[in-house]
Amino acid sequence: MFDQVFMQNAFIAGTVISIVAGIVGTFVVARSYNFLSHSLSEIAFAGAAFGFFIGWPPLLGMVIFTILAALSIGGLENAKVRQDNVTSAVSAFAIALGILFLALGHTANSAATGILFGSVLGISHTDLLILAGMALGVFIVIFLFYKPLRLLAFDEAGLLLSRGKKTWLKILFLVVMALSVAISSQLVGSLLIFVLVTLPAASARYYQGSVGRLMTLSVFFALFGTWTGLVLAYVTNLPTSAFIAGIEVLIYLLSIWLAKE
Amino acid sequence: MSVQIVVKNFTAAFGDRVILRDVSFKIEEHRFTVIVGENGTGKTTLIKALIQEVIGQKHPGHENKKQKGTIEVNSKSLAYVPQFRDLGDDYPLTIRSFIALGLKSGLRPWLNTHEKSAIDQALKQVDLADLADLRLSDASGGQKQRAYIAQALVQEPDLLILDEPTAALDANHALALVKSVRALQQSRQIGVLWISHDTSWVKEYADGYLWLHDGQIQGGQAADLPDAAASQHRQEVNHV
Repeated sequence: MFDQVFMQNAFIAGTVISIVAGIVGTFVVARSYNFLSHSLSEIAFAGAAFGFFIGWPPLLGMVIFTILAALSIGGLENAKVRQDNVTSAVSAFAIALGILFLALGHTANSAATGILFGSVLGISHTDLLILAGMALGVFIVIFLFYKPLRLLAFDEAGLLLSRGKKTWLKILFLVVMALSVAISSQLVGSLLIFVLVTLPAASARYYQGSVGRLMTLSVFFALFGTWTGLVLAYVTNLPTSAFIAGIEVLIYLLSIWLAKE
Repeated sequence: MSVQIVVKNFTAAFGDRVILRDVSFKIEEHRFTVIVGENGTGKTTLIKALIQEVIGQKHPGHENKKQKGTIEVNSKSLAYVPQFRDLGDDYPLTIRSFIALGLKSGLRPWLNTHEKSAIDQALKQVDLADLADLRLSDASGGQKQRAYIAQALVQEPDLLILDEPTAALDANHALALVKSVRALQQSRQIGVLWISHDTSWVKEYADGYLWLHDGQIQGGQAADLPDAAASQHRQEVNHV
């Protein structure tokens, strides 16, 4: 299995993606931004379709669209609108755009399926380099702003910052989230973004009580699902994301059950 | 003794409604000052203005809110315990990890020895050392309030501002919290501003008071707290 280049690439990509998703997911779940992450992934879908339409790499389209969306949502944070309503409007618009770009670009159905459900087994060496570069960017931002981001996610009331600085921090968090969503879409697809960005972090909350340990366990759950999913997909020739989703959902349900025991 | 807070000719208004009109007062350092007054008299507006001054916020509030006057706050490290904290029933962090969130300076994501001992000390001072590994969501109302205060204490503040920290506590727990904050304020020699509806303990445990009413601020020694200020709050509390 590991003598094949596409499996090597898939494992490297899966590992990098799981680490990013596990760490950023811990903040996303703490801030209850689960549904916002899903909306960003729908925007990522529109971005990828746009990429196909104008002949760019789909990942680039995803990054541009999700970051623009993150900046707009950040700008709307202080407006007097209900965030879930804005999110539904943005999601609907993003999916509509996605369908439109796919049709305009005469994009093959297999490419569309790849965006929606992930296509990690087909990931190229160049894609891998872009992915690693983006992941490095996410890690650097998190390292530099770890303490304020941690406070924003886990206790916003304790964050004593002026309104301007707080808005910047929120936008920075949304951009990190947007990048992570675009990165994770490569593995599980934009429809299954919950599988890596929120489920492992949500499961970890049943076992751990410190931010560092929550992140570590969340990364472990994401890695376990990804590696097992890749092996099962290779053996059965069935979609990787279906296995990863199944495993992460099982871990989550098991965690709830164990917590009730 | 030097002065920690100087407010001169401060006016705060929401639209056409003036909350505080041309008020001035001074508070010396290392004082435990209680801010009393009915709902809507501007207690939270006042402390938010003081906090904004320290964190360097130039444009106060939203468009409807107008503030005038000068405020000087002599504080290198201000800690604030807000009235509401929406942490949710499934909040995962332990009391110790929650307190660690207060350590905001520097890049290093892990704790050094000094920070660990600051957390241990704060835990002891609020009498939560035995419950450090309890999840905050499993703690009682009083334990949560003490954890909030401990998170403020690890920041080693020279000015601690608390917005009705005893609102959700019964009389015994409220008094216990007052006593422990008073002891901390004296041992650490810091300034405390405490917004309270309950004035029953003020004369015994505070140094001074600020009574906000009718757009004005009346201040003085805690022992001289006017009966009018005290009795009004009892009525208000009884009506709640």
